[in-house]
Amino acid sequence: MGTKTLKYKTLIRKLWDSLGVWLIFIVLFILLSLLSDNFLTGSNLLNIVRQISVNGIIALGATLVVMSGEIDLSQGSLAALIGCFCAMLMVRGISPIVAILIALMVGFLIGIIMGVAVAFLKVPSFITTLGMMYSLSGAVLLLTNSQPISGLPESFLVLGRGYLGFIPVPVLITTVVLIVTWFMIKFLPFGRYTLAIGENENAARLSGINVAKTRVLIFAFAGLASALGGIVLASRLSSGQPSSGSDLSLQALAAVFIGNASGKKVTNTIAGALIMGLINNGLNLMEVNASWQKVALGLILIGAVGLDVVRNKNKS
Amino acid sequence: MKSEEHELNDIVLEVVGVSKSFPGVKALNNVSLQIQRGEIHALVGENGAGKSTLMKILSGAYKKDSGQIFIENEVVEIKTPKEAREKGIAIVYQELSQLNRLSVAENIFIGRYKKRFGLINWNLIYKEAEMLLRKLEINIDAYSPVYSLSIAQRQLIEIARAVSMDAKVVIMDEPTSSLTKQEVALLFKIIRELKRQGVSIIYISHKLDEVYELCDRVTVFRDGNLIKTSDIKSLSRQDLIQYMIGRKLQNQYPIRSSSIGDVRISVESISDGYFIDNVSFKVHKGEILGFAGLVGSGRTETMRLIFGADKKKNGKIYIDGKEIQVNCPRDAVENKIAYITEERKVDGLLLNESVRINTSLVSLWQFCKFGILKLKSEKEAVQKYIELLKIVTPSIERKVALLSGGNQQKTVLAKWLLSNAEIVIFDEPTRGIDVGAKYEIYSLIGELAKQGKSIIVVSSELEEVMGISDRIAVMREGKIAAFLTKESFSQATILTHAIGGF
Repeated sequence: MGTKTLKYKTLIRKLWDSLGVWLIFIVLFILLSLLSDNFLTGSNLLNIVRQISVNGIIALGATLVVMSGEIDLSQGSLAALIGCFCAMLMVRGISPIVAILIALMVGFLIGIIMGVAVAFLKVPSFITTLGMMYSLSGAVLLLTNSQPISGLPESFLVLGRGYLGFIPVPVLITTVVLIVTWFMIKFLPFGRYTLAIGENENAARLSGINVAKTRVLIFAFAGLASALGGIVLASRLSSGQPSSGSDLSLQALAAVFIGNASGKKVTNTIAGALIMGLINNGLNLMEVNASWQKVALGLILIGAVGLDVVRNKNKS
Repeated sequence: MKSEEHELNDIVLEVVGVSKSFPGVKALNNVSLQIQRGEIHALVGENGAGKSTLMKILSGAYKKDSGQIFIENEVVEIKTPKEAREKGIAIVYQELSQLNRLSVAENIFIGRYKKRFGLINWNLIYKEAEMLLRKLEINIDAYSPVYSLSIAQRQLIEIARAVSMDAKVVIMDEPTSSLTKQEVALLFKIIRELKRQGVSIIYISHKLDEVYELCDRVTVFRDGNLIKTSDIKSLSRQDLIQYMIGRKLQNQYPIRSSSIGDVRISVESISDGYFIDNVSFKVHKGEILGFAGLVGSGRTETMRLIFGADKKKNGKIYIDGKEIQVNCPRDAVENKIAYITEERKVDGLLLNESVRINTSLVSLWQFCKFGILKLKSEKEAVQKYIELLKIVTPSIERKVALLSGGNQQKTVLAKWLLSNAEIVIFDEPTRGIDVGAKYEIYSLIGELAKQGKSIIVVSSELEEVMGISDRIAVMREGKIAAFLTKESFSQATILTHAIGGF
C-alpha cells in the first residue's frame, strides 16, 4: 500500500515535470469526455476555443507583465474603453480598418503612459494600474453616456463572429498573438530582457540592460493586447459594451498564473486560458449553477500554484 | 572551572573553548575569553578573523559547535537572540534596525510594552524612557520619532534600549563607522558612563585610535584563533598590528610577467556626495590595480560610481584620454567596462535561468541580425566560453542555481568576457569559492592583463591583493589613503594605511 502510493506520487511528479500545467488540462479534458456526452463534439470544442479567445489575447499581454515581475489590473477597463471607442469611430462613419488602427494606437499609448509611471516615476505597478483601471472605467462611461454602442458595420463583425473555413476568426487572431508573443520571448533581445528583469532586476541593470525602456515596452505591449482583445470582444457582442471589461483583467491574470505555475512559458498562458474554458464549458454542460464555475476556478488557481510550490520544495 | 582569580576579577562573561565551523572554514577555533565587570574590551582583527562569528554566537544568531559560555559563573545556552537578551547580553548593530516612524520611547521598549488592564500603559513607558535617558545623560526627547534623529542619536537609543534590558554586557560592532567626530565624542561619553555603572562593553573596531583612546583591554583574532589578550597600555601599536597579521603564508598565485602600456582609464576626483571623497586613480593597459582596505572603506562604492550603478556627484572619467559620460551601467558597458560584482547571487546572476541566458545577457546584440537573435551563434559562443573557463555543467541549458559556487562565478566571468570589455573590474572575485577555482580565476585575471586589458581587483584578502596586483590602492573611509608599488607591498604597510595606525 505504502509503496503503491509512492509509485503514484512519483508518476504524478514525472508527468508534472514533463507536461507541467498541460497535465491539468489533459485530466480535465478526459474527465469531461467521460462525464458528458455533449463535450467531445467538434462544435463544442470549437466553441470552447472561441470563448477563450478574448481572454487568451489579453492574457498573452499580461504574460510579459507578470514575467517582468509586475502586474496590470487595468487591462479589462482598457479593453472596454477601446472596444467602445472603436465602435464609436465606426458609427461616426470611419472605415473599420482605420478605426481599428486608431483604437489599437490609443491602447498602445495608454500602455506607454502606465509604463512611464512605473519605470520612471517608480509608482508600483499595482497602484499605477489600479488607478488606471478606475480612471478608464470612468472614462468609458463618460464617453458612451453609459449606453451600448450598436449599429456596427457587417465587415467589422467578422473579427469576433466570422469563420475561416471551419476555424473561428477570433481563434485565428489569438493564435497570431500567441506566435508573436512566443517569437518576442524567444528571438528578440526585448524578450530576454523581460525575463532578466523579472528574475533579478539588479543583475539586469548591472548587465547594461535599459530596464526603464524595457518596462515601458512591456506595458505598451500589454496595452496593445488589451486593445485588440477589446476590439474582438466588441465585434463578438456586435456592439461596444461599456461594462464589458469588469472581469477581464482578473480572468487574464488567472490564466497567466494557472498557466505559468509550472514555468514561465508563453504557451502555458494558453493552457491556463484553456483550463478556464474547460471548467466553464464542462459545468455548463452538466447544468451546474454558473456561480460554481467561479468557485472551481478559484480552487484550481490556488491548487495549481500550490502544486508547484510543493514540487519545488521536494526537489530541493 | 572556577578559580580564585575569577572571583577576584569579577568575571561577568566567560567563553571557554568555543569553536564554530562552516563548510570548508574553521571560523572559530577553541576560543577562550573573559570579560570583567565594567571593562571596555576591544576585539580587533582582519576581516574574517572570527570577531563577528563570536559576537553572533554570543547573541544567539549562530549556534556554537563546542565549548561553554558562562554568565556570572553559570553555564548558559544561548539559542536565540531573545535568550541572549534575557541573559543580559545586548548588541548594538552596525546596521540599525529601528522602526523609524515610532517614537524613541516606543523603540526602546518595543516588544516589552508595560501593560495595565491588558492595555499598553503609554504614560509609564514614556516616563521610564525619560528617566532612562536622563540617567545616561542622553539629551533626546522620548516623544520624537526616530526618523528625525541623526545616526549617532539612533545609536544612543539602541544603547539606552540595551541598558533598559539590564544588559550586563553590551556588544558594539563598529559603532563609529558612520559618525562624525563630535558624535563619536558623545558616544564615548555614554560608553564611559555605562562602564561607571558596572556594564561591560565589548567594542569591535578596526580603528586603532579609538581602541587606544577608549578601551581597557584588547583581544586580537586571526583566522578564527584568539591570538592575544592584553591590557591596552602594555601593548604597542606595532605589536598589535603584528599580532593581527601573523606570519606570511605560502604563495599560491600564478607567476606572470606584466608589460604595462599607456594609461587606459583615468578617474579624476569622483565623489558621491556622501562618503566617497575625491577618489582619483589611473589604470594602464595590461596593468592590474588592486584595491585594498577594510570592509566599508568605500571600494565597492567607488567601483559602482565608475560603472554608473550609483550616481556620482563630482568627478570625471577618461578612457584613452577622452572623457566619457557614465550615468548608468549601460553607458559603462558601451564604453567596454565590465564589473564583476561582489555578490554574484544578488546582482550578478539570474539564478533560475540557464547558463546560456546568463552568459549572453550583456552581449545579445552580437548575435542579432535585423534585431532578431540567431540562437545558433549564441549557443556556439556560450559553448566556447564554457570550454575556455572550464565551467563544469552538464549542458548550457542548466539552471545556474544548480551549479557550484566556483562555476557560478565563472559563469559571471564568461558573461563579461563575452562582452569584449577592455576594462574589467573584479569585486572580491574569489569570495566563497574553493582553492582550485581560485587559482584558475587568478590565472584568468593574469591572462586578461597579458592581452592588454586594464584590470581592477577589489579584495579584502591582503595576500590575494598582493599576490596578483601590479600596484595597490589602499582605501580608508571613502578616500584613497595610499598607492603602493610592488616593492613596497607588505601586509603591515597595507594594514597601516587601511586603519590609519600611524
